[in-house]
Amino acid sequence: METVAKKSSAIKEFIRSIPINKIGVKDLLNFEKSPLNLFLAALTLVFLGLFVVGVLIYLLHGHHAYNVTREHPWGLLIAVYIFFVVSSTGLCIVGSLGDVFGFKDYMAISKRAIFGSIVTIVAGFAVIAFEIGHPVTMMIYNVLTPGLTSAIWWMGTLYGLYLTFMVIEFVFLLKNDMKSAKIFGLVGLLVGLAAHSNLGGVFGFLNARTISNGVFYPTYFILTAFITGVFIAYIMMGFRYKLSFSKEIQTMLNGLAKIQALLISILIFFVTWKFLTDVYGGMPNRAEVAVHILGSWTFWAEVILAMLIPLVIILASKASAYRAIFFASLSGMVGIFFMRYNLVHDTQLKPLQEMKIREYQLTPEWVHYFPSATEIMISLGGLGLCLTLYYVGTKLFSLDSDHH
Amino acid sequence: MANYVMVLDYKNCINCKACEIACKEENGILLGADKHRIWVGSNNPKGEWPNLDIVSASFLPSQCQQCENAPCEDVCPTHATYYDENGVVQVDSDKCILCSYCMVACPYDARYVDDRTTTVDKCTFCSDTRLARGEVTTACQNTCPTKVRTFGDIDDPDSEVSELLRTREHFSLKSNLGTKPKLFYLT
Repeated sequence: METVAKKSSAIKEFIRSIPINKIGVKDLLNFEKSPLNLFLAALTLVFLGLFVVGVLIYLLHGHHAYNVTREHPWGLLIAVYIFFVVSSTGLCIVGSLGDVFGFKDYMAISKRAIFGSIVTIVAGFAVIAFEIGHPVTMMIYNVLTPGLTSAIWWMGTLYGLYLTFMVIEFVFLLKNDMKSAKIFGLVGLLVGLAAHSNLGGVFGFLNARTISNGVFYPTYFILTAFITGVFIAYIMMGFRYKLSFSKEIQTMLNGLAKIQALLISILIFFVTWKFLTDVYGGMPNRAEVAVHILGSWTFWAEVILAMLIPLVIILASKASAYRAIFFASLSGMVGIFFMRYNLVHDTQLKPLQEMKIREYQLTPEWVHYFPSATEIMISLGGLGLCLTLYYVGTKLFSLDSDHH
Repeated sequence: MANYVMVLDYKNCINCKACEIACKEENGILLGADKHRIWVGSNNPKGEWPNLDIVSASFLPSQCQQCENAPCEDVCPTHATYYDENGVVQVDSDKCILCSYCMVACPYDARYVDDRTTTVDKCTFCSDTRLARGEVTTACQNTCPTKVRTFGDIDDPDSEVSELLRTREHFSLKSNLGTKPKLFYLT
């Protein structure tokens, strides 16, 4: 009994010793009232309002509130979930550069990136909770009757573990216990990479969907996660230092931009070869889908916003036009959203029912989908939630490394 | 324990869709064009009048292929999709979380969301209805005016399905995917 009491008091003491700023509502409203800040605050509130409305409509109408169909069962919310968890994994990778791998130049963003990885995955979970039809059943039967051959099971379970490790790592970072942070950070990173490649595997295992089947997505997901992490790192730093960076931060941003140029180049190489093999490989159900994708504006939005604009700006400025790269990173994140949307939609483009099954119908050619207002509201709500949690975090915790 | 399969003499199909109606009636499937366990597929006839290619517009009745190596079973995160003792692929609606992964993974578009349970539903060879009552035919088979479908136990060498598969040439749909369907089409 005595040892249990001792242990519980030790845990209480540990939690009490985590440096957290005591804040109230007044502190949350205490920010520089510049037009941009006010606009962002209003936008975030609107997004949160849309989230509430969207969720209410979903609770009333279920999946009928979404434009998902038998032929296109995965819609915008799956894409947005992927968007958030990719961001989380990316931030985890960027955060690990300093505190796990010991690259001193990147220590300045470690705490902020790890906190960002927690916030983004929480936003992702909040969105997916309203896409999965029975989230409570999921938590019960994921444990009682686990489907070990299912990539979704591995992805969900590993992401749950990953979140736990990220929280523990963040606590140790706050306590400035770098040794423990390094251990939990490394384990969290490995679990996160496993989870994320399993998310790619969710698509890669689909042998009926030849456009997605194969090893491409599980590896591509890790690459694009790193790219997304660097984009968000730039955005975080841009807002934190109002685009006026100290020498130390400039060194970090210069390094990150160089890494980003390399990563985007590799991505362009990968995507080019994917389409070359898809189109010229001539495999039925893959070649025509690839040609169809090349003709869609969303694909080119992905290429221009997430690949070409950031790469050209980084290369043209030799990775030192930090302000321009900040704006290129904003463009990059819009491109990354399209990347996720395309991934989900393109997988389902080709109808598997290849014959017409109703009278007065033509033989199905392509599956069409456009998100419903409810799907859009919940998705924007996820972004609002993410921004709110991040903002509250900046008030609650000291996220800069120079406080050490 | 049986190993149920279905053999379809599909060239006899006249696209009357009586099987679709019988399935809905027997299994209480909700109304609505996208709420269906089985279907009859057809193609638009190719060619120009009067040289229409009528062979190109033949009918192909279909449903869940009850794959022996079912992608939907592999991808289910909670084992809601399982093989029953007769080798029929079933969905346990208590365990289904409606992640829709099985709908994306099924190569035959054989799954849909049942609004009564808000879970995924599919053809079960009438396991919960006719087979549960001790009958040995499915609703679609029973109602077919041109005797397209034959249903039975392939492990029984004297069954009609075994006889048909021994004596008639047949094929399976999308067999290149390795799903080992248990619906066989006679040529």
